[in-house]
Amino acid sequence: MQGNADGSHVWFDPLGLRIEPGQTIRWINLDPGNSHTATAYHPKNFERPLRIPEGAKPWNSDYLLPNESFAVTLTVEGVYDFYCVPHEHAGMVGRIIVGQPGTSPIISSSSQPAGSEPLPESALRAFPPVEEIMRRGIVRPA
Amino acid sequence: MRTVVAAFALVAAFSLPALAADQVEKAPPTGAYKKVSELVKLPDFLPGLGQLYVDPKTLPAGPFLAYDREGRLVSTVYMLPVEDLSNKDKRFDDLAAPGGKVDHVDVYFNAGHPGVEKPHAHVVLWHVPKADEQRVAAK
Repeated sequence: MQGNADGSHVWFDPLGLRIEPGQTIRWINLDPGNSHTATAYHPKNFERPLRIPEGAKPWNSDYLLPNESFAVTLTVEGVYDFYCVPHEHAGMVGRIIVGQPGTSPIISSSSQPAGSEPLPESALRAFPPVEEIMRRGIVRPA
Repeated sequence: MRTVVAAFALVAAFSLPALAADQVEKAPPTGAYKKVSELVKLPDFLPGLGQLYVDPKTLPAGPFLAYDREGRLVSTVYMLPVEDLSNKDKRFDDLAAPGGKVDHVDVYFNAGHPGVEKPHAHVVLWHVPKADEQRVAAK
């Protein structure tokens, strides 16, 4: 979790990552001037659309102050999309692939709770493609 | 004696508005201002801005009063969501400006933070010279 000096740009680094089932991910807020979250797209988190594998446990780090961290262990294979609560509109999102991505679409209309707010275009544009994460293993911001 | 008392009462009456105004020169300001880091989870001192206070009723625009590490007022900040600035039906009128003399103004984009989550513009009225902006710089 990072940001520049005047807060005009914020990002996850890496923003795409491939891991094996059972591995642990840790987010650290390295931005001295802002708070960030790592929050899974899941109906249990503010009724957001489901963008993690069905059956996987959602997470929400809550706000992390500078140098605070949060970790989660992912065991279910598939694609996990997550975002920063106060910065989703700024495109601060990320994607983790555990094992193989599977063939199911990342999101379907049935997985979006009625009345839930769709993802902003700025967030949708920011996800690294699944193919790129599988090929490179790690995708960092340009 | 009566004249003196009347004159004093008159002076006191004309002084009341000034006495009633919030004290903002030193942190913490009086009135309805609250420390932002106690309202939302943000660092207590924001590099580039300082320690912020705001009347919660005025969110998101503010004014936010920004203080240096010695508690001296350095700027007044307004936070104006970008989507509101491009909405022809939205206006920000009569925003309070309690900080006094303005030396210069900065306007820049901010991606958001707890309290003002949507991308917005920071309009910073600096009450100190450009060189003194370093009083709120990162250590």
